[in-house]
Amino acid sequence: MTGDVFVFVECKDSVPRKASLELLSVGRRVASQFSSGLFAVVVGSGVKDAAEMVSGYADTTLLVDNESLADYGWDTYGSVLEGVLKKYEPMFLFGTSSVTGKDLFPRIAVRLQAAMISDAVGLDLEGKGIKIKKPLFGGKVISWLAPKADSMVIVTFRPNSFTVGNAGEKGRIVEEHFTAETNRGIKPISFEKTGSKKVDLQEADFIICGGRGMKSAEHFAMLDEIADLMGGRTGASRTVVDSKWREYDDQIGKSGKTVSPKLYIGCGLSGALHHIMGMDTSRVIVAINKDPNAPIFQYADYGIVDDLFAVLPALKDELKKTREDT
Amino acid sequence: MKVLVFIKEVADTEARIIISSDQKELEIENKYTVNFFDEFAVEEAIRIKESLKDVEIAVCTFAPPRAVEALRTTIAMGADRAFLIDSRNHESDDPLIVSRILAGFAVKEGFDLILCGRQAMDDESANVGPMIAEFLKIPHVNQVTRLQVSGTGTAEVQSEIEGGKKVSEVLLPALLTTQKGLNEPRVPLITGVMKAMKTEIAVLDPATIEIPFGSIDRETSKIAVLSYELPDKRPSVSIIEGASPEEKVTGLVRALKEEAKAL
Repeated sequence: MTGDVFVFVECKDSVPRKASLELLSVGRRVASQFSSGLFAVVVGSGVKDAAEMVSGYADTTLLVDNESLADYGWDTYGSVLEGVLKKYEPMFLFGTSSVTGKDLFPRIAVRLQAAMISDAVGLDLEGKGIKIKKPLFGGKVISWLAPKADSMVIVTFRPNSFTVGNAGEKGRIVEEHFTAETNRGIKPISFEKTGSKKVDLQEADFIICGGRGMKSAEHFAMLDEIADLMGGRTGASRTVVDSKWREYDDQIGKSGKTVSPKLYIGCGLSGALHHIMGMDTSRVIVAINKDPNAPIFQYADYGIVDDLFAVLPALKDELKKTREDT
Repeated sequence: MKVLVFIKEVADTEARIIISSDQKELEIENKYTVNFFDEFAVEEAIRIKESLKDVEIAVCTFAPPRAVEALRTTIAMGADRAFLIDSRNHESDDPLIVSRILAGFAVKEGFDLILCGRQAMDDESANVGPMIAEFLKIPHVNQVTRLQVSGTGTAEVQSEIEGGKKVSEVLLPALLTTQKGLNEPRVPLITGVMKAMKTEIAVLDPATIEIPFGSIDRETSKIAVLSYELPDKRPSVSIIEGASPEEKVTGLVRALKEEAKAL
């Protein structure tokens, strides 16, 4: 086994996801610590440009590009990734705890009998060791874990756990050829694209989230305008989704998605515990609510106590100004 | 047809959790519930039983004995049998070990279909489902939102994947993880609760299950829990004052820009 650090690069429309660049950035720190190499693994069909794009972040970019990898499947991608890992025997494999990551990595961990730590939010390097930070119980408790045995370690991290560094000098790109094995047990019938939203909720830097105080589905247009302006996403509380004002895809909280954007603005949200558990790792939290006793103010950095229908238009104008200034 | 459902009992959202002074243990207030996503799995198994002939539902959990209560809830809903594999004296922090044990139980019990929630609410790891499938060498589909099991050994499955919804035909045996939207879990009827009270729930020692997937000894665990701590507390909220909503917003945006550097 080598001491190398591998990052599985997830692409969206053949473009590397920001979350993968975050992992390459932190992977650089880990590789330096262990005096080892940093590898990016790019798998797909028509992803040569993606490999080119990430090559500035890694010493070596391994590219597996063939038509049978056009659509993601744990069977096809899994067999290719397994081949790559068995050939190179790295010490670490970092991935994102995304829908794809949760589908792919557990099976890989079994095949390689690797230590598996999932849904982490940070790491700490000390001496010859590594500590992984993982929240439990919706962030009520933080646990620190360490891989124990002398085997490969797979760690998946939530998007927005690390900042993206600057790309350096381009590393080499090595094309690898592994056959994608298809599992005959699953026959695809159809695929329906949902939500043409540009930004993934969990990857968004900026989230403006509406609660019951938004009063109707129509009022969410105001939040969408602000989210678009900021290149972010609109989120929703469970009551909002249960009332069918928004899709489940937008739901933030224990029974929805866990997010940690740079800036989270909660509008007309009381701050029920199951919602807080889905967003309290956000870097900066703003709450807008006319009730000064709403629990969300206990979790916020900044608050405005006022009628949100008076606040939102002003907020849109102010944010627009800051966007134009920069 | 045999449907196996794996569930986990998790601490309730409201449960108080205390970290021991040496930071090595957690003390969890005795408020537990069936994992939110597992309820969809139990409900779906019951719906399959209602729509097809000769379906048997067995529910299983790897947990300390107190989780018998969670299993009773599933019997009250309509499951036929329930098993608790006693987790005391066993490693439960390494998903590989937990999955080996549950996969071993699946082999012992037999199955045509395995259902479980897409992830547990307490650790949000989402490992055990696909890991069991890999040990058993069967296909899995994650985040299932619609399921139609035919009587001929296949199922039509709709699932959420990156960027959309996919429909596939899955050859059984297979493992499916359940997502919100699949169904509305029922509230047990009083007759169900009465039946559940009388049902004997088997408690199994993992040592009595033949596990052909590798060691389950604590020493073979690949994960060490070093410590627990409380998350960093945010300083108390700063309420932005102003004579009008516009003034407050101006103050907020200034603070976000200059103080928090978030814009």
